[in-house]
Amino acid sequence: MAAIRVNSEMAGSIWKLLVAVGDEVAEGADLLLLESMKMEIPVAAPRSGKVAEIRVEEGETVAEGQCLLVLAG
Amino acid sequence: MTAVEAARASLQDAAREAALARQRDRGKLTARERVAALLDAGSFLEVGGFATAEPDGEAGRRQSPADGVVTGTGRIEGRAAVVVAQDFSVAGGSIGRLGTAKTVHAVETAVARGLPLVMLLDGGGHRIQDGQDARSFAHASPLIRTLARASGWVPLVSLMLGPGFAGPTNFAGLSDLVVMVRGISAMGMAGPALVKAATGEDIDQDALGGADAQAHAHGLADLAVEDEAAAFETARRFLSYLPASARAPQAVRPCVDPADRRDEALLHLVPEDRRRGFDVRLAIAGIADRNSVFELKPRYAANMVTALARLDGRPVGILANQSLRLGGIIDAAAAEKGARFIAFCDAYSIPLVSLIDVPGFLIGSGAERSGLGRRSAKLPFEWAHATVPRISVVLRKGYGLGYIAMAGGRSMQADAAFAWPNAEICAMSIEGSVDVAYRRDYAAAPDPAARRQELIDGIRARTGALRAAEGFGLDDVIDPRDTRARIIEVLRQAEGREHGGMPPKKRAIPPI
Repeated sequence: MAAIRVNSEMAGSIWKLLVAVGDEVAEGADLLLLESMKMEIPVAAPRSGKVAEIRVEEGETVAEGQCLLVLAG
Repeated sequence: MTAVEAARASLQDAAREAALARQRDRGKLTARERVAALLDAGSFLEVGGFATAEPDGEAGRRQSPADGVVTGTGRIEGRAAVVVAQDFSVAGGSIGRLGTAKTVHAVETAVARGLPLVMLLDGGGHRIQDGQDARSFAHASPLIRTLARASGWVPLVSLMLGPGFAGPTNFAGLSDLVVMVRGISAMGMAGPALVKAATGEDIDQDALGGADAQAHAHGLADLAVEDEAAAFETARRFLSYLPASARAPQAVRPCVDPADRRDEALLHLVPEDRRRGFDVRLAIAGIADRNSVFELKPRYAANMVTALARLDGRPVGILANQSLRLGGIIDAAAAEKGARFIAFCDAYSIPLVSLIDVPGFLIGSGAERSGLGRRSAKLPFEWAHATVPRISVVLRKGYGLGYIAMAGGRSMQADAAFAWPNAEICAMSIEGSVDVAYRRDYAAAPDPAARRQELIDGIRARTGALRAAEGFGLDDVIDPRDTRARIIEVLRQAEGREHGGMPPKKRAIPPI
């Protein structure tokens, strides 16, 4: 399967990264926690795969639609 | 009678196996098998089975049995209903002149008798032979107007059991329940071939309007299921909560779950860390009658849970903020999902329970681009026009306009306004308000961080549930374990209450 980008559904800041490059993740597994409007918002894997790239750091502010990480098939 | 019996026999699947082969090859049931699978055994009474296109037309008599749509009445769990089943084996399920007349007649029957209408849709829209002729098409179809007028009077169910682009998609748009079957269902404004021809966009049917796309991403369908049997079961379950029409008695069932049952787990459901999400569906399960919760659109705008359920046997609609999704923040999709659910429950006199844990409406440029300013008004609009009893319970956060949009406090004349002990009710996030209003104050302090925390603690002490009740913004602060009993008692007392007193306007103008 082709690589897919996991984008942020909303603006906020990266609270905690829960995976590292190379990790195998199952569909629905939490990849990172976004912090927005004083809530921790888990970002889940849309499908299973291997974390190919992480494009953000903890504490970084992200925009809605911004690519957070890339999953390979 | 022999000629009549022979004609009737010719309509049955046994006489049409050759025509039905492709339908079966696609793994689909036939229209008549579907009707039989949906309805109670032996209860189907067909109307217009002999209708057929003119023998000299493009589609001759033999090619258009029942003119491509099986209609009639039957029973679902003992209750009468009207059914329409498009037959894909007749000119691709296309809607011809008599098929249209039969379908309109079925809708009118449902309206006149006050019966639910279930549409089993499997068709390609207008029959091209009829449609590409102004002499025919200029009349247009009265069907969509008839359906629109039936909406809110009788429950409308669309089961998408094949491709249902254009017309059938509009029928679904007017329906109270839309179910799609993975692998065989699709809907949208036009299918992939027409999209490609008209716009050049290359997209396959599933990505364009398949079950998962329409149920999870677009929210046009309520549920995506694995097979046709599950679709029929979903329709039966949905109708079990509803009256036959807007003026028929509620579908109350005997309840074996004690009204005063306490769910101990509710005491520890809300995490101590206020940033952390929890699954509000556990609260719903703990409050509602056992095994009575039926969630609609579970994966679309999941930050707003909408579910039918029963409390002491009475159907209720439950609206709840889900902090596991987007923190429970209300975005445009959640606002519309919730507002439509309120309108639907109100139409069928189903009382509403609002479980509030809302950090607010979504803010920022993305929110503005989505038109949230107007779309957010849909929730209060529907609450204000609804006449059913409603009860609000603040489970945790009741912030800002979101609190009002969820019918918190006195905003929507709730029949009861409750809160759990650790609720926090205020106009905006506490940290946010300190950063906006007191930044200069704490920045000038010897230890800005400590001063900021002191300000936050000071405000937090003034936002609790007890203080809310002291100001009479709430009726009571309740033990989470008693939520079920408290709601049931209010609903018993408020049964039949109509929230009225609307100014004598001609009609309401929804913030669409």
